[in-house]
Amino acid sequence: MAQDTEQLYRSRLKRYVTAMRNEKPDMIPIRPFVAEFTAKYAGYTCQEVTQDYEKAFAAARKCAADFDWDAVVGNMVYVWSGITQAIGLKYYAVPGVELPIDVGFQYKEPPEDKAFMKPEEYDRFIEDPTEFLFNVWLPRVSTEVSAPGESATFRSNLSFLKGGMAMMKYFGGFGTQAELLRKESGTVSAISGIFKAPFDILADKLRGYLGLITDLFERPDKVLAACEALMPHLTHVALSGADPQKNVPIGFWMHRGCVPFVSRVHFEKFYWPTLKPVIEQVWSHGHQVLFYAEGNWDAHLDSFAELPDASIVYHVDMGDIFEVHKRIGHKFCISGGVPNYLLAKGNSDELRKCCRNIIDGVAKDGGYIMDASAIVQNDAKIENIKAMTDFTREYGVY
Amino acid sequence: MAQKRPKNPKPGVCIPWEQKHKELGKLSGNEELIKRIWEDNEALAYTYIWHCLLSF
Repeated sequence: MAQDTEQLYRSRLKRYVTAMRNEKPDMIPIRPFVAEFTAKYAGYTCQEVTQDYEKAFAAARKCAADFDWDAVVGNMVYVWSGITQAIGLKYYAVPGVELPIDVGFQYKEPPEDKAFMKPEEYDRFIEDPTEFLFNVWLPRVSTEVSAPGESATFRSNLSFLKGGMAMMKYFGGFGTQAELLRKESGTVSAISGIFKAPFDILADKLRGYLGLITDLFERPDKVLAACEALMPHLTHVALSGADPQKNVPIGFWMHRGCVPFVSRVHFEKFYWPTLKPVIEQVWSHGHQVLFYAEGNWDAHLDSFAELPDASIVYHVDMGDIFEVHKRIGHKFCISGGVPNYLLAKGNSDELRKCCRNIIDGVAKDGGYIMDASAIVQNDAKIENIKAMTDFTREYGVY
Repeated sequence: MAQKRPKNPKPGVCIPWEQKHKELGKLSGNEELIKRIWEDNEALAYTYIWHCLLSF
Protein backbone atom coordinates (compact mmCIF):
# COMPACT_ATOMS: atom_id res chain seq x y z
CA MET A 1 0.00 0.00 0.00
CA ALA A 2 2.77 2.41 0.96
CA GLN A 3 4.57 1.64 -2.29
CA ASP A 4 1.36 2.23 -4.27
CA THR A 5 0.84 5.58 -2.57
CA GLU A 6 4.42 6.59 -3.25
CA GLN A 7 4.02 5.55 -6.87
CA LEU A 8 0.82 7.61 -7.03
CA TYR A 9 2.69 10.59 -5.55
CA ARG A 10 5.47 10.30 -8.11
CA SER A 11 3.05 10.12 -11.01
CA ARG A 12 1.10 13.10 -9.71
CA LEU A 13 4.27 15.13 -9.14
CA LYS A 14 5.48 14.37 -12.65
CA ARG A 15 2.08 15.33 -14.08
CA TYR A 16 1.93 18.59 -12.12
CA VAL A 17 5.50 19.65 -12.84
CA THR A 18 5.27 18.74 -16.52
CA ALA A 19 2.21 20.94 -16.95
CA MET A 20 3.84 23.79 -15.03
CA ARG A 21 6.79 23.69 -17.41
CA ASN A 22 4.19 24.26 -20.14
CA GLU A 23 4.50 20.76 -21.55
CA LYS A 24 1.97 17.99 -22.05
CA PRO A 25 1.68 15.45 -19.22
CA ASP A 26 -0.34 12.21 -19.28
CA MET A 27 -3.48 14.06 -18.26
CA ILE A 28 -4.56 17.47 -17.02
CA PRO A 29 -3.43 18.01 -13.41
CA ILE A 30 -6.06 19.01 -10.87
CA ARG A 31 -4.90 21.48 -8.22
CA PRO A 32 -7.83 23.24 -6.52
CA PHE A 33 -6.95 25.98 -4.06
CA VAL A 34 -9.51 24.89 -1.49
CA ALA A 35 -9.74 26.91 1.70
CA GLU A 36 -12.92 26.96 3.81
CA PHE A 37 -14.35 24.36 1.43
CA THR A 38 -12.17 21.82 3.23
CA ALA A 39 -13.93 22.70 6.48
CA LYS A 40 -17.33 22.17 4.89
CA TYR A 41 -16.26 18.82 3.47
CA ALA A 42 -14.60 17.60 6.66
CA GLY A 43 -17.43 18.72 8.95
CA TYR A 44 -15.70 21.65 10.65
CA THR A 45 -16.85 25.23 11.04
CA CYS A 46 -14.81 28.12 9.61
CA GLN A 47 -13.99 29.02 13.18
CA GLU A 48 -12.47 25.62 13.79
CA VAL A 49 -10.15 25.63 10.79
CA THR A 50 -9.19 29.28 11.29
CA GLN A 51 -8.40 28.95 14.99
CA ASP A 52 -7.02 25.38 15.09
CA TYR A 53 -4.57 24.82 12.27
CA GLU A 54 -4.31 21.10 13.02
CA LYS A 55 -7.98 20.83 12.07
CA ALA A 56 -7.27 22.85 8.93
CA PHE A 57 -4.44 20.46 8.05
CA ALA A 58 -6.68 17.46 8.78
CA ALA A 59 -9.47 18.89 6.62
CA ALA A 60 -7.09 19.42 3.69
CA ARG A 61 -5.81 15.86 4.05
CA LYS A 62 -9.35 14.45 4.13
CA CYS A 63 -10.14 16.25 0.89
CA ALA A 64 -6.89 15.03 -0.64
CA ALA A 65 -7.71 11.46 0.35
CA ASP A 66 -11.25 11.53 -1.02
CA PHE A 67 -10.81 13.57 -4.21
CA ASP A 68 -8.47 12.51 -7.01
CA TRP A 69 -6.43 15.71 -6.95
CA ASP A 70 -2.80 15.90 -7.95
CA ALA A 71 -1.87 18.77 -5.69
CA VAL A 72 -3.36 20.81 -2.89
CA VAL A 73 -2.15 23.62 -0.66
CA GLY A 74 -1.28 22.29 2.80
CA ASN A 75 -3.57 24.84 4.42
CA MET A 76 -5.26 27.46 2.27
CA VAL A 77 -7.01 28.95 5.33
CA TYR A 78 -3.55 30.33 5.66
CA VAL A 79 -4.01 33.07 8.26
CA TRP A 80 -3.97 31.12 11.48
CA SER A 81 -5.74 33.29 14.03
CA GLY A 82 -3.59 31.84 16.82
CA ILE A 83 -0.74 33.98 15.50
CA THR A 84 -2.84 37.06 14.78
CA GLN A 85 -4.25 36.87 18.30
CA ALA A 86 -0.84 36.28 19.90
CA ILE A 87 0.60 39.33 18.15
CA GLY A 88 -2.60 41.31 18.72
CA LEU A 89 -3.11 42.24 15.07
CA LYS A 90 -5.93 44.74 14.74
CA TYR A 91 -6.75 44.18 11.09
CA TYR A 92 -8.47 40.82 11.11
CA ALA A 93 -12.05 39.88 11.82
CA VAL A 94 -12.10 36.26 12.87
CA PRO A 95 -14.94 33.71 12.74
CA GLY A 96 -16.17 32.96 16.23
CA VAL A 97 -14.82 36.26 17.54
CA GLU A 98 -16.14 39.15 15.44
CA LEU A 99 -17.72 37.06 12.69
CA PRO A 100 -20.26 34.23 12.63
CA ILE A 101 -18.64 30.83 12.94
CA ASP A 102 -19.14 29.93 9.31
CA VAL A 103 -17.81 33.07 7.67
CA GLY A 104 -14.19 33.15 6.55
CA PHE A 105 -11.76 35.56 8.20
CA GLN A 106 -11.70 39.12 6.81
CA TYR A 107 -8.96 41.72 6.45
CA LYS A 108 -10.03 45.12 7.73
CA GLU A 109 -8.32 47.98 5.92
CA PRO A 110 -8.07 51.04 8.20
CA PRO A 111 -9.62 54.36 7.16
CA GLU A 112 -7.32 56.61 5.14
CA ASP A 113 -6.44 58.88 8.06
CA LYS A 114 -5.47 55.89 10.19
CA ALA A 115 -3.24 54.17 7.65
CA PHE A 116 -0.50 52.09 9.25
CA MET A 117 2.19 54.22 7.63
CA LYS A 118 1.85 58.01 7.50
CA PRO A 119 2.85 59.92 4.38
CA GLU A 120 5.65 61.75 6.24
CA GLU A 121 7.21 58.39 7.19
CA TYR A 122 8.30 57.34 3.69
CA ASP A 123 11.90 58.39 4.20
CA ARG A 124 12.30 56.39 7.39
CA PHE A 125 10.73 53.36 5.72
CA ILE A 126 12.92 53.67 2.64
CA GLU A 127 16.10 54.00 4.71
CA ASP A 128 15.49 50.80 6.65
CA PRO A 129 12.26 48.87 6.08
CA THR A 130 13.03 46.23 8.74
CA GLU A 131 13.61 48.85 11.43
CA PHE A 132 10.42 50.65 10.42
CA LEU A 133 8.39 47.48 10.57
CA PHE A 134 9.63 46.57 14.04
CA ASN A 135 9.62 50.02 15.63
CA VAL A 136 6.74 51.85 13.95
CA TRP A 137 4.48 49.50 11.99
CA LEU A 138 4.20 46.61 14.45
CA PRO A 139 3.34 48.74 17.49
CA ARG A 140 0.78 50.54 15.34
CA VAL A 141 -0.97 47.39 14.04
CA SER A 142 -0.86 45.54 17.35
CA THR A 143 -2.95 45.93 20.47
CA GLU A 144 -0.07 44.48 22.49
CA VAL A 145 3.28 45.76 21.25
CA SER A 146 4.90 48.83 22.84
CA ALA A 147 6.82 51.20 20.62
CA PRO A 148 10.41 52.21 21.44
CA GLY A 149 10.26 55.03 23.98
CA GLU A 150 7.07 53.70 25.54
CA SER A 151 7.23 51.60 28.69
CA ALA A 152 7.94 47.97 28.04
CA THR A 153 4.97 45.92 29.18
CA PHE A 154 4.37 42.34 30.17
CA ARG A 155 1.93 41.97 27.29
CA SER A 156 4.29 43.48 24.76
CA ASN A 157 7.03 41.06 25.76
CA LEU A 158 4.55 38.20 25.67
CA SER A 159 3.33 39.08 22.20
CA PHE A 160 6.85 38.71 20.78
CA LEU A 161 7.44 35.46 22.61
CA LYS A 162 4.07 33.93 21.79
CA GLY A 163 4.01 35.28 18.25
CA GLY A 164 7.50 34.05 17.47
CA MET A 165 7.05 30.60 18.94
CA ALA A 166 3.58 30.22 17.43
CA MET A 167 4.92 31.19 14.02
CA MET A 168 7.75 28.68 14.28
CA LYS A 169 5.33 25.94 15.32
CA TYR A 170 2.88 26.74 12.54
CA PHE A 171 5.44 26.96 9.75
CA GLY A 172 7.07 23.76 10.97
CA GLY A 173 3.66 22.14 10.71
CA PHE A 174 3.62 22.71 6.96
CA GLY A 175 6.60 20.43 6.54
CA THR A 176 4.85 17.67 8.45
CA GLN A 177 1.67 18.33 6.47
CA ALA A 178 3.51 17.94 3.16
CA GLU A 179 4.89 14.60 4.28
CA LEU A 180 1.48 13.39 5.46
CA LEU A 181 -0.17 14.43 2.18
CA ARG A 182 2.47 12.43 0.36
CA LYS A 183 2.29 9.34 2.57
CA GLU A 184 -1.46 9.19 3.23
CA SER A 185 -2.86 10.05 -0.19
CA GLY A 186 0.04 10.53 -2.59
CA THR A 187 -0.84 14.21 -2.98
CA VAL A 188 1.65 16.91 -3.86
CA SER A 189 1.93 20.05 -1.74
CA ALA A 190 1.09 22.61 -4.41
CA ILE A 191 3.23 25.64 -3.58
CA SER A 192 6.16 26.59 -1.39
CA GLY A 193 7.06 30.08 -0.30
CA ILE A 194 5.19 33.34 -0.47
CA PHE A 195 5.59 36.57 -2.39
CA LYS A 196 3.63 39.77 -2.89
CA ALA A 197 4.47 42.69 -5.13
CA PRO A 198 6.11 45.70 -3.45
CA PHE A 199 3.31 47.93 -4.70
CA ASP A 200 0.64 45.64 -3.25
CA ILE A 201 2.41 45.46 0.13
CA LEU A 202 2.56 49.24 0.24
CA ALA A 203 -1.19 49.43 -0.45
CA ASP A 204 -2.33 46.44 1.62
CA LYS A 205 -0.38 46.83 4.82
CA LEU A 206 1.22 50.26 4.96
CA ARG A 207 -0.46 53.21 3.23
CA GLY A 208 -3.83 51.58 2.44
CA TYR A 209 -5.27 51.61 -1.05
CA LEU A 210 -6.69 55.14 -0.87
CA GLY A 211 -3.55 56.49 0.76
CA LEU A 212 -1.36 54.97 -1.91
CA ILE A 213 -3.52 56.30 -4.74
CA THR A 214 -3.14 59.78 -3.26
CA ASP A 215 0.61 59.23 -2.93
CA LEU A 216 0.86 58.36 -6.61
CA PHE A 217 -0.14 61.94 -7.36
CA GLU A 218 1.35 63.80 -4.42
CA ARG A 219 4.65 61.99 -3.83
CA PRO A 220 5.30 59.55 -6.69
CA ASP A 221 9.06 59.53 -6.17
CA LYS A 222 8.56 58.29 -2.62
CA VAL A 223 6.22 55.54 -3.78
CA LEU A 224 8.78 54.32 -6.29
CA ALA A 225 11.61 54.49 -3.77
CA ALA A 226 9.54 52.60 -1.20
CA CYS A 227 8.74 49.87 -3.72
CA GLU A 228 12.42 49.65 -4.61
CA ALA A 229 13.36 49.43 -0.92
CA LEU A 230 10.95 46.51 -0.53
CA MET A 231 12.29 44.54 -3.49
CA PRO A 232 15.37 42.89 -1.92
CA HIS A 233 13.49 41.94 1.22
CA LEU A 234 10.51 40.42 -0.56
CA THR A 235 12.89 38.55 -2.86
CA HIS A 236 14.79 37.21 0.13
CA VAL A 237 11.63 36.04 1.89
CA ALA A 238 10.33 34.40 -1.28
CA LEU A 239 13.56 32.49 -1.85
CA SER A 240 13.86 31.49 1.81
CA GLY A 241 10.57 29.59 1.62
CA ALA A 242 10.98 28.19 -1.88
CA ASP A 243 10.96 24.46 -2.68
CA PRO A 244 14.54 23.22 -2.31
CA GLN A 245 13.77 20.60 -5.00
CA LYS A 246 12.57 23.38 -7.34
CA ASN A 247 9.48 21.40 -8.29
CA VAL A 248 6.58 23.51 -7.04
CA PRO A 249 6.29 27.27 -7.46
CA ILE A 250 6.37 30.17 -5.03
CA GLY A 251 2.86 31.52 -4.46
CA PHE A 252 2.48 35.16 -5.58
CA TRP A 253 -0.76 36.74 -4.38
CA MET A 254 -1.65 39.62 -6.67
CA HIS A 255 -4.02 42.26 -5.36
CA ARG A 256 -4.77 45.80 -6.50
CA GLY A 257 -1.93 46.76 -8.81
CA CYS A 258 -3.91 46.29 -12.02
CA VAL A 259 -6.24 48.42 -14.13
CA PRO A 260 -8.75 49.71 -12.99
CA PHE A 261 -7.44 49.90 -9.44
CA VAL A 262 -4.57 51.93 -10.88
CA SER A 263 -4.06 53.45 -14.31
CA ARG A 264 -2.05 51.70 -17.00
CA VAL A 265 0.64 54.37 -16.60
CA HIS A 266 0.88 53.69 -12.88
CA PHE A 267 1.15 49.97 -13.53
CA GLU A 268 3.96 50.56 -16.03
CA LYS A 269 5.81 53.08 -13.90
CA PHE A 270 5.43 51.64 -10.40
CA TYR A 271 4.02 48.12 -10.24
CA TRP A 272 5.80 46.39 -13.07
CA PRO A 273 9.33 47.84 -12.83
CA THR A 274 9.48 46.84 -9.15
CA LEU A 275 8.08 43.39 -9.80
CA LYS A 276 9.66 42.15 -13.03
CA PRO A 277 13.27 42.13 -11.74
CA VAL A 278 12.22 40.11 -8.70
CA ILE A 279 10.55 37.44 -10.84
CA GLU A 280 13.61 37.30 -13.08
CA GLN A 281 15.91 36.98 -10.09
CA VAL A 282 13.78 34.23 -8.54
CA TRP A 283 13.80 32.40 -11.89
CA SER A 284 17.57 32.73 -12.08
CA HIS A 285 17.63 30.61 -8.91
CA GLY A 286 15.49 27.99 -10.65
CA HIS A 287 12.15 28.73 -9.02
CA GLN A 288 8.88 29.32 -10.82
CA VAL A 289 6.39 31.82 -9.44
CA LEU A 290 2.65 31.17 -9.49
CA PHE A 291 0.99 34.45 -10.54
CA TYR A 292 -2.27 34.08 -8.64
CA ALA A 293 -3.90 36.91 -10.58
CA GLU A 294 -6.95 37.56 -8.44
CA GLY A 295 -9.45 39.72 -10.30
CA ASN A 296 -8.78 40.57 -13.92
CA TRP A 297 -5.22 41.31 -15.07
CA ASP A 298 -5.87 40.97 -18.81
CA ALA A 299 -4.81 44.59 -19.38
CA HIS A 300 -1.25 43.63 -18.49
CA LEU A 301 -0.66 40.41 -20.40
CA ASP A 302 1.83 42.09 -22.71
CA SER A 303 3.95 43.01 -19.69
CA PHE A 304 3.81 39.49 -18.29
CA ALA A 305 4.86 38.20 -21.72
CA GLU A 306 8.20 39.95 -21.18
CA LEU A 307 9.13 37.34 -18.59
CA PRO A 308 11.28 34.35 -19.53
CA ASP A 309 9.47 31.30 -20.89
CA ALA A 310 8.15 28.98 -18.15
CA SER A 311 9.30 31.34 -15.40
CA ILE A 312 5.75 31.66 -14.14
CA VAL A 313 2.50 29.73 -13.92
CA TYR A 314 -0.35 32.12 -14.65
CA HIS A 315 -3.61 31.64 -12.76
CA VAL A 316 -6.82 33.08 -14.20
CA ASP A 317 -9.57 34.40 -11.95
CA MET A 318 -11.92 36.85 -13.66
CA GLY A 319 -9.80 37.32 -16.76
CA ASP A 320 -10.72 35.75 -20.09
CA ILE A 321 -8.88 32.44 -19.99
CA PHE A 322 -9.14 32.01 -23.75
CA GLU A 323 -7.59 35.43 -24.38
CA VAL A 324 -4.92 34.68 -21.79
CA HIS A 325 -4.11 31.43 -23.56
CA LYS A 326 -3.93 33.21 -26.90
CA ARG A 327 -1.61 35.92 -25.64
CA ILE A 328 0.72 34.08 -23.23
CA GLY A 329 -0.19 30.39 -23.37
CA HIS A 330 2.78 29.69 -25.63
CA LYS A 331 5.11 30.90 -22.85
CA PHE A 332 3.47 29.90 -19.58
CA CYS A 333 1.31 27.21 -18.07
CA ILE A 334 -2.18 28.49 -17.22
CA SER A 335 -4.43 27.41 -14.37
CA GLY A 336 -7.92 28.19 -13.16
CA GLY A 337 -10.87 29.66 -15.01
CA VAL A 338 -13.78 27.71 -13.43
CA PRO A 339 -15.89 30.47 -11.88
CA ASN A 340 -16.48 30.25 -8.15
CA TYR A 341 -20.06 31.42 -8.62
CA LEU A 342 -20.66 28.35 -10.74
CA LEU A 343 -19.19 26.09 -8.08
CA ALA A 344 -21.50 27.71 -5.53
CA LYS A 345 -24.70 28.25 -7.50
CA GLY A 346 -24.51 26.05 -10.59
CA ASN A 347 -25.29 22.40 -11.12
CA SER A 348 -23.09 19.52 -12.14
CA ASP A 349 -24.08 19.71 -15.81
CA GLU A 350 -23.08 23.36 -15.96
CA LEU A 351 -19.78 22.53 -14.31
CA ARG A 352 -19.02 19.79 -16.77
CA LYS A 353 -19.86 22.04 -19.70
CA CYS A 354 -17.61 24.77 -18.32
CA CYS A 355 -14.71 22.40 -17.78
CA ARG A 356 -15.15 20.97 -21.28
CA ASN A 357 -15.04 24.47 -22.81
CA ILE A 358 -11.88 25.34 -20.90
CA ILE A 359 -10.15 22.06 -21.71
CA ASP A 360 -11.10 22.31 -25.39
CA GLY A 361 -10.04 25.95 -25.53
CA VAL A 362 -6.75 26.05 -23.66
CA ALA A 363 -5.51 22.59 -22.69
CA LYS A 364 -5.02 20.72 -25.96
CA ASP A 365 -1.27 21.19 -26.04
CA GLY A 366 -0.72 20.72 -22.32
CA GLY A 367 0.33 23.56 -20.04
CA TYR A 368 -3.00 23.76 -18.23
CA ILE A 369 -3.98 22.96 -14.64
CA MET A 370 -7.62 22.57 -13.63
CA ASP A 371 -8.69 24.79 -10.74
CA ALA A 372 -11.41 27.19 -9.68
CA SER A 373 -10.96 30.86 -10.49
CA ALA A 374 -10.45 31.93 -6.91
CA ILE A 375 -9.85 30.40 -3.50
CA VAL A 376 -12.68 27.95 -2.87
CA GLN A 377 -14.63 28.76 0.26
CA ASN A 378 -17.52 27.10 1.99
CA ASP A 379 -20.12 28.29 -0.51
CA ALA A 380 -18.94 25.77 -3.10
CA LYS A 381 -21.18 22.74 -3.45
CA ILE A 382 -19.45 19.44 -2.78
CA GLU A 383 -21.13 17.82 -5.78
CA ASN A 384 -19.77 20.55 -8.04
CA ILE A 385 -16.21 20.09 -6.82
CA LYS A 386 -16.69 16.39 -7.46
CA ALA A 387 -18.08 17.06 -10.94
CA MET A 388 -15.10 19.30 -11.79
CA THR A 389 -12.71 16.61 -10.56
CA ASP A 390 -14.39 13.59 -12.14
CA PHE A 391 -14.97 15.28 -15.49
CA THR A 392 -11.38 16.44 -15.73
CA ARG A 393 -10.12 12.95 -14.99
CA GLU A 394 -12.39 11.51 -17.65
CA TYR A 395 -12.06 14.16 -20.36
CA GLY A 396 -8.60 15.49 -19.59
CA VAL A 397 -6.50 12.53 -20.67
CA TYR A 398 -3.99 13.24 -23.43
CA MET B 1 26.12 50.24 24.50
CA ALA B 2 23.78 49.66 21.55
CA GLN B 3 24.62 51.69 18.47
CA LYS B 4 22.49 53.00 15.64
CA ARG B 5 21.87 50.58 12.79
CA PRO B 6 23.68 51.37 9.56
CA LYS B 7 21.46 52.45 6.67
CA ASN B 8 19.89 49.80 4.46
CA PRO B 9 21.02 46.65 6.19
CA LYS B 10 20.85 43.69 3.85
CA PRO B 11 17.90 41.28 3.94
CA GLY B 12 18.05 38.73 6.73
CA VAL B 13 19.61 41.18 9.17
CA CYS B 14 18.15 43.11 12.08
CA ILE B 15 21.28 43.96 14.07
CA PRO B 16 24.36 43.46 11.88
CA TRP B 17 27.16 41.30 13.21
CA GLU B 18 29.62 44.17 12.79
CA GLN B 19 27.58 46.25 15.24
CA LYS B 20 27.27 43.41 17.75
CA HIS B 21 30.98 42.59 17.45
CA LYS B 22 31.89 46.15 18.44
CA GLU B 23 29.66 45.83 21.50
CA LEU B 24 31.25 42.50 22.51
CA GLY B 25 34.77 43.84 22.16
CA LYS B 26 37.73 41.50 21.96
CA LEU B 27 36.62 37.90 21.62
CA SER B 28 38.42 35.09 23.38
CA GLY B 29 37.48 32.32 20.95
CA ASN B 30 36.24 31.40 17.50
CA GLU B 31 34.78 34.56 15.96
CA GLU B 32 33.31 32.75 12.96
CA LEU B 33 31.33 30.46 15.22
CA ILE B 34 29.87 33.37 17.19
CA LYS B 35 29.12 35.26 13.98
CA ARG B 36 27.36 32.30 12.37
CA ILE B 37 25.07 31.66 15.29
CA TRP B 38 24.37 35.37 15.70
CA GLU B 39 23.38 35.63 12.05
CA ASP B 40 21.30 32.43 12.18
CA ASN B 41 19.26 33.88 15.02
CA GLU B 42 19.08 37.24 13.28
CA ALA B 43 17.40 35.45 10.38
CA LEU B 44 14.71 34.14 12.75
CA ALA B 45 13.81 37.63 13.96
CA TYR B 46 13.92 38.95 10.41
CA THR B 47 11.64 36.13 9.26
CA TYR B 48 9.22 36.98 12.06
CA ILE B 49 8.67 40.60 11.15
CA TRP B 50 8.60 40.06 7.40
CA HIS B 51 6.09 37.26 7.70
CA CYS B 52 3.98 39.43 10.00
CA LEU B 53 3.85 41.82 7.06
CA LEU B 54 3.60 39.30 4.25
CA SER B 55 1.70 36.33 5.61
CA PHE B 56 -0.45 37.66 8.45
